[in-house]
Amino acid sequence: MRGLLNLLQLFWPAIALAFSAAPAVALQPGTTDFSVAGLAPEAAGLAIFQEADRRASGYQDLSVDLEMILRDRRGNQSQRQLKIRQLEMAEDGDRLLVVFDSPKPIRGTALLSYSYKFAPDDQWLFLPAFKRVKKITSKNRSGPFLSSEFAFEDLALQEVEKFTYRLLESESDESGAYYLVERTPVDDTSGYSRQLVRLDQAELRIQHIEYFDDRERPLKTLTVSGYEFYLERFWKPAQMLMENIQTGRSTQLVWHDYQFGLGLDSQRDFSTNSLRRVR
Amino acid sequence: MKIIRAALLMLTVFAAAQGLADQNSAEAQSPYRLVFGSFQSMQNATNWASRLSLRLKTVIVAEAFEREEGIWYRVVSEARSPQQLAELARAADAAQLRYWRLLGGQTQVAASRVDRQAPVTGPPPVRPVELVGTPDRTSNEPAADSVVQMLDLDLGLQSQTFFRSGLDGQSKFHPSVSLRADYYRNWDNERQSFTAAPFFRYDAQDSDRTHFDLREFFWTRVGDSWDLHLGVKQVFWGVTEFNHLVDIINQTDLVENIDLEEKLGQPMAHLSIIRDWGIVDFHLLTGFRERTFPGEDGRLRRALPVDTNNADYESGAEDKRIDGAIRWSHNLGPLEFGLYHFSGTSRDPQFELRQKSNGNYYLKPFYPVIDQTGFDGQVIFGDWAWKLEAISRSGFGDRYAAATGGFERTLVGVFGGRTDLGLIAEYMWDERDDEAFNTLFEHDLAFGTRWQVNDMANTQALLGLIWDVDTHEYIVKLEASRRLGDTWTLLVEGRAFGGAHSPDPDDSPSDLLDPDNKLGPVMRDDFLQLEITRYF
Repeated sequence: MRGLLNLLQLFWPAIALAFSAAPAVALQPGTTDFSVAGLAPEAAGLAIFQEADRRASGYQDLSVDLEMILRDRRGNQSQRQLKIRQLEMAEDGDRLLVVFDSPKPIRGTALLSYSYKFAPDDQWLFLPAFKRVKKITSKNRSGPFLSSEFAFEDLALQEVEKFTYRLLESESDESGAYYLVERTPVDDTSGYSRQLVRLDQAELRIQHIEYFDDRERPLKTLTVSGYEFYLERFWKPAQMLMENIQTGRSTQLVWHDYQFGLGLDSQRDFSTNSLRRVR
Repeated sequence: MKIIRAALLMLTVFAAAQGLADQNSAEAQSPYRLVFGSFQSMQNATNWASRLSLRLKTVIVAEAFEREEGIWYRVVSEARSPQQLAELARAADAAQLRYWRLLGGQTQVAASRVDRQAPVTGPPPVRPVELVGTPDRTSNEPAADSVVQMLDLDLGLQSQTFFRSGLDGQSKFHPSVSLRADYYRNWDNERQSFTAAPFFRYDAQDSDRTHFDLREFFWTRVGDSWDLHLGVKQVFWGVTEFNHLVDIINQTDLVENIDLEEKLGQPMAHLSIIRDWGIVDFHLLTGFRERTFPGEDGRLRRALPVDTNNADYESGAEDKRIDGAIRWSHNLGPLEFGLYHFSGTSRDPQFELRQKSNGNYYLKPFYPVIDQTGFDGQVIFGDWAWKLEAISRSGFGDRYAAATGGFERTLVGVFGGRTDLGLIAEYMWDERDDEAFNTLFEHDLAFGTRWQVNDMANTQALLGLIWDVDTHEYIVKLEASRRLGDTWTLLVEGRAFGGAHSPDPDDSPSDLLDPDNKLGPVMRDDFLQLEITRYF
């Protein structure tokens, strides 16, 4: 019996290959034990983001390279290269470090951010020309991150507690079953009155966000695509496109070379000291 | 297409058969197998296994095993001889596949390229996983012994245009060219690095502004909660915009800019220790750098020339004295502060009036030994940043205190656009009042606006006014910059001076050095400076 099982295992690749020769691989539908049935819209929205956060947590640390392409209404284009490092903290205060590699005049410019659940984030900017670390005021966080369409707050880690939620839709369309959740920033230094977030029901990945400015006008849309599956656990996007509806500008982010479990250290790699020396 | 598929299928079957043949002979000596992933869905596991089989040209199977949540399927290599497994590991490395080693039937984890890193912890996945795209790009391993190095060069062309000729008839037009190199190299997993930044400026008018300096030249060793730096380095302390009271480690390169923000490289041993209660920095400053001063042909200088070749020191060791500084800095929510003590040769000199044999007067710098305790702090409330810098200094005449404090308020997206506007107000105070001979800022008020346009060219500008509330002398300051494409930047600077009276060069030395007319000597030095920099 055991031998038979072994033999079967051995030939699984061939059997699987035969199956996969069908035009589309019949993957398991994304059925999960996660459900928001019966919850009030607010509780359901919160539950969705808590679950999404739980699924996205536990990578400990990561490093990823990022290409940032800025476009204005006239089609002018400017490209930047950045490196991002993230560290999950056991308690509060997940850490993020962003370093510019190009263009050369801003090479070495770096941003360090500590994200807190119930307090405003701490953010520092290092300007290599002045060897000066500057703490950024909270209001500044709604401002553009180095001229991109991403605000400082968009790039900071999105703690669940920073918003209140309301599930608006739980529907299906041609791209699958999705949730549409409205989230409202708790912190009044945010540049947004609210955001409409669309996540797929199968994996709770953010697919699309619509941002509204403080006068309730549509401001920006973010489209996230090219999710890939890492470490058997984490979905990470390959592309993000932030489009400013009001100005016609856009910023495209292309993520590549994700690395996990580098053994990054909160003090060695995410202090204002490391901000000064990182390249 | 069908033919290819059939061929691939046959290849897999063939490889599988090979594996079967090998298995019996090799199994006894196999210490481990390689695992390429675990799945809750059998189909996903077999799918992945078949793709890997083709890719690595060997047998990769999916096998069932029990986990707390139920049956899982692990994608794993067949038991083979150690040599074959080593070969397979190499192939997997080359394909940048993530894997770990499975010892016997036990779970995980022996040394492999992956396992060197901290294992991923947290709850195991409790949902079916699905394979899309190309999951073989899971991770590029950190390149442990890779060396990162970069070299940047920037060439600056600068023209300073003064609206009038100088007090002693110095020229109106001062072109200069500067070259700076930045070399950086790290190794040992970023635990060690070397930085070098030589700087050179050639000034067509003022030979004393033509100078070379090693801005940085140091080695860094990074520990788990400490950094050690040895060599020539730049360290800036402070928070305020218009006055840099607490900044003391590096000597000012005054010929570069009168704003006291350009600094000479300082040789030092610098140890920085990170604790929960803040960062402690120890600086052992080996050797003293003299301040640079414009020469007789230079602008923006005192009414009498400074003789930089014959400085006097209080210390018998002169410029060889070893100075020290220790600083504790911490961040507590919205509050950020630093407290330090410096003991050593003063960075700013006192001046002694001397007469040459031909009867001309000049100033001879004298560098006393001082003790200075300093504090800098910043509190952030919403869009307000409140700032304070204060020092107490002894050894420089009587012990005295000085402080600069104020705020910067940042308005985001002003005028409905994306420009950020910073409103700055600061007050500068010196206990010595009118006797404060070594600073322009003893009872001065400063206002500024900082414009951050947030366009692709990183356009920014600072326009400021410093006004002496007693003497009504004032300085208007403009700094603006933007990038031109990816490799050029344009920098515009300007100053206008007012409220003082321009002395007559033939006045007596006491008139030329009148402490109530400190701006007098530069009253003719309003200028506009353009600098274009090319980055290589």
